[in-house]
Amino acid sequence: MSAFGRVGRVERVERAGRSEKITLEIQDLSITYRGGGKEVFAVKNCSFSISRGDVIGLVGESGSGKTSVLMAIPRLLPTGTLVHGRILLGGQDITKRGERAMNELRWSRVALVPQGAMNSFTPHLTIERHITEVLNFHMKMSGRDGKSRASELIGTVGLERDILTRYAHELSGGQKQRAALALALACDPDFLLADEPTTALDVITQKEVLETISGLVRERDMGLLLVTHDLPIAAGVCDTLIVMKDGSIVERGNSRQLIMAPKQAYTCELIEAIREMEGGHA
Amino acid sequence: MKRRLSTICLALLIILAIAGPKWLGLQDGVQAPAYSKPYWLDSTVAGSFTLDARDGEEVPLSWSYAPPLRVTITGRLDEGFVRWRTPDGDFILADTPGELDLDARDIPFKRAMGISPFGNMASVLFPADGEYKLDLVGRGDVSMKVEGGRWGVLGTDHRGRDVATLFVRGIRVSLLVGITATLIATLLGMSLGLLSGYVGGLTDTLIMRFVDVLLSIPTLPILMVLAGIWGKGLWNLVFILSIFSWMGTARTVRAMTLSLRDAPWVEGLRAIGARRHYIIFRHLAPEALPLLLANVALGVPGAILAEAGLSFLGLSDPRVPSWGRALHEAHTYGAFTNGAWWTILPAGLGISMICLIFMDIGRKLEEQVDPRLSAATALTFQREGEE
Amino acid sequence: MITLLKRLLGSAAVLVVVLVLNFFLFRIMPGDPLTGIVDPRFSPEAKQQLAAQWGLDRPISEQFVVYIREMLSFRFGLSMMTGVPVWDELKNRVPNTVALLLPALVLSSALGLWLGVKAALRRGSIIERVVLLSGAISFSFPSFFVQLLLLMCFAYLWPIFPLRGTTSIPPPAGIAYLFDYIWHMALPVFSLVILGFGGFALYIRNMMVKAMGEDYVLMARARGLPYSRVVWNHAFRGILPPVLTILLLSLPGVVSGAVITETVFSLNGVGRFLLEATNSHDYPAAGAAFFLLALLTVACNLGADIMYVLVDPRVRRESSRG
Repeated sequence: MSAFGRVGRVERVERAGRSEKITLEIQDLSITYRGGGKEVFAVKNCSFSISRGDVIGLVGESGSGKTSVLMAIPRLLPTGTLVHGRILLGGQDITKRGERAMNELRWSRVALVPQGAMNSFTPHLTIERHITEVLNFHMKMSGRDGKSRASELIGTVGLERDILTRYAHELSGGQKQRAALALALACDPDFLLADEPTTALDVITQKEVLETISGLVRERDMGLLLVTHDLPIAAGVCDTLIVMKDGSIVERGNSRQLIMAPKQAYTCELIEAIREMEGGHA
Repeated sequence: MKRRLSTICLALLIILAIAGPKWLGLQDGVQAPAYSKPYWLDSTVAGSFTLDARDGEEVPLSWSYAPPLRVTITGRLDEGFVRWRTPDGDFILADTPGELDLDARDIPFKRAMGISPFGNMASVLFPADGEYKLDLVGRGDVSMKVEGGRWGVLGTDHRGRDVATLFVRGIRVSLLVGITATLIATLLGMSLGLLSGYVGGLTDTLIMRFVDVLLSIPTLPILMVLAGIWGKGLWNLVFILSIFSWMGTARTVRAMTLSLRDAPWVEGLRAIGARRHYIIFRHLAPEALPLLLANVALGVPGAILAEAGLSFLGLSDPRVPSWGRALHEAHTYGAFTNGAWWTILPAGLGISMICLIFMDIGRKLEEQVDPRLSAATALTFQREGEE
Repeated sequence: MITLLKRLLGSAAVLVVVLVLNFFLFRIMPGDPLTGIVDPRFSPEAKQQLAAQWGLDRPISEQFVVYIREMLSFRFGLSMMTGVPVWDELKNRVPNTVALLLPALVLSSALGLWLGVKAALRRGSIIERVVLLSGAISFSFPSFFVQLLLLMCFAYLWPIFPLRGTTSIPPPAGIAYLFDYIWHMALPVFSLVILGFGGFALYIRNMMVKAMGEDYVLMARARGLPYSRVVWNHAFRGILPPVLTILLLSLPGVVSGAVITETVFSLNGVGRFLLEATNSHDYPAAGAAFFLLALLTVACNLGADIMYVLVDPRVRRESSRG
């Protein structure tokens, strides 16, 4: 798999950016964890924006603060975490919203595709219950409507209908991630936030799952924020890349330009690491 | 374990149990009227005391209480008479030589004092507040025992025994029964658990099924029946308690053995030809020891509570003063109707305190074995891949 | 189905063990069962006659068969004290024990559950401290001590509840009887709730704290579900199987507690019957009471087992496939 594939996407984003789009703007975001009497900075003054139709990769090594940024958007950081800055969704600051108002926004506007290694499904509920539950709460869709939409969704992500009646522990890793994607798409959100969606999967399944995600996102013209430590994956899927290190954004730009001509030493290092790995594979 | 409040308390209790009766001058047996109040409780009630007068002695007494419950005069009068001087007048208690054994409730004595047989002699002898004197005019040795409604630090029980003494005596029983029963049970559980986990197969199945069965039978009724059949001795109780409390330990040890049995270093031992009992006793048992220590400490409260429960039901040796027995007697002999809460609180709090102490020590030991259990670590933030 | 069948077999095994234990317990004691109750001045002939009356002169195998028949037919043999079938006396006592334990169990688990969940959601709050404290109390305070204190406070110092008994003597008639009964049962049940909820709440709190940290709970929140739904349908529902297990494991203790509670409050129940029978060496009666208490435990265990299977999809799925 080449780190420089799928270059032709760039024009499409520029074209899409001109039309009226809902935008998610992160402004001066800082996150500090508190625990055990200590305060630990996770993210410092981080700003970027993503519109419907954008596919942005947030890249960095583990500990760089990328997951914190992602979880801060639907405000799911552990209680007691200090978050400064503004998060605007369609021009409105959502950081000041109450929990109830936030709940209306979660999943119907911003949905999460969790890490592959996460137990993202409640173990005692079937996949179908997960989907009908969100449909019921966010779209007031009940009973038969919910079920038919669930089976429609499960087909869209390339799974068999009988997956619906299964529990998470009865699915393989790839099936679980596809089911998670189906669940994320249930309420037609504006933005998908995917946090390392392909870790813990084998290479072939990784590729398939990623292709399904990016295909569906582009088809539905959603915004995708893909958090990953894997630069080739990000470059393969995303139009724009944002590189984070130690809680700050060190570089951002068009995928191809960034990889061809990185401005920062850190990005160079990341790319070097990949070149070495690819060299090793060859 | 150093300088933890619970260990200090435990040490103090042990010292009190061993040296307490001597140091504090506690006395067993009947001391004062039944259900005497603690001394500090009610200052309008007299305590219990004895006045001794010998050859021509005058023993003074200042009195500012209600009349006592009972007055008895014992001793020997060789010559002269015994005079009781009260603020309201004098009484000649005895004037004929000989052995004295007078009780203020005796009708002949009352008549001798010129009181009707139904009158209360104690209130005649103690008519008002003021200075009293017991005079022995002549030769002899007379003592006057005055029994009031107050005694000691913690009062008396239904038989007039000192509650404080019973409390101190009870520490010994609780500790003895709790610790020995748990030790025996732990040894039993450990051997069966090791056997079950290491040998496996049919042995394992049989032992574990047996554990399941024992765990789902209510134990107190069995213990009651056994105590009823085998007699109520202290060691019988220890034995009965230990044969019904080894199951939890056996389960824990078995689980540990199972996880250790297939550990690489044990396989290594097997590969170099170590014998089974050598592996079990030289390698697996030491590994399980810290956890077992915690297990013992955590098991003691259970044994103490079971002992106390059986004693409370009256299924313990009546000659052994235990806390459970004290509560049994308080319940059976109407401590309530006498309002004698002091017979209930010390014993009950004693049991609770000892259990809390052992729970705390057990928790601490457990935390040392497995630091994840510590509350301090539990409170640091749990989630988030990125610190 | 396999799982359920296994549990059923397990319960049957427990009952068999109880039956055998019960039989031999009373026959391994020193001397013969009659020494406890028969006046030593009795003539050997009279003794012989008494032994014949309880079938103690037969060979042990025959005694066992008779014993099993008596037990399974719920007649339990003749009482050595009164000479009437034990069941005739015991059957009046069973409802009292059930009326004591059932409400106590339901109320204490409901209270423990509610407080435990609340404590887990509000770490560091007063509720959490109450749960931690009452948990420590329920593990270290002897039940009879707490009950004696309650009796002292609410039946003697401030006499709003009766000091002893299941009903007033003589019992009132009609609807007043019901109120009288409830009035007598209130304090015992209350005491069992006070003693029982703490341990349960502490356990639920610990489980719930762990569950709230699970990934799937975070994801349920991410899905914008209402908080109560996240807490109950996702987090709590997930810990329900172990909660049922702990409830199940606590049942023998609860039944044991009945003996003590009935003694403290002088209730006419199976537990006190057992105590009285043990004290008067009435072995058939004691054996019957013990068997009934064990049966009660086994029945509750089985009920909890069935609930467990219904509640845990993993077990359910395996059992329906098996």
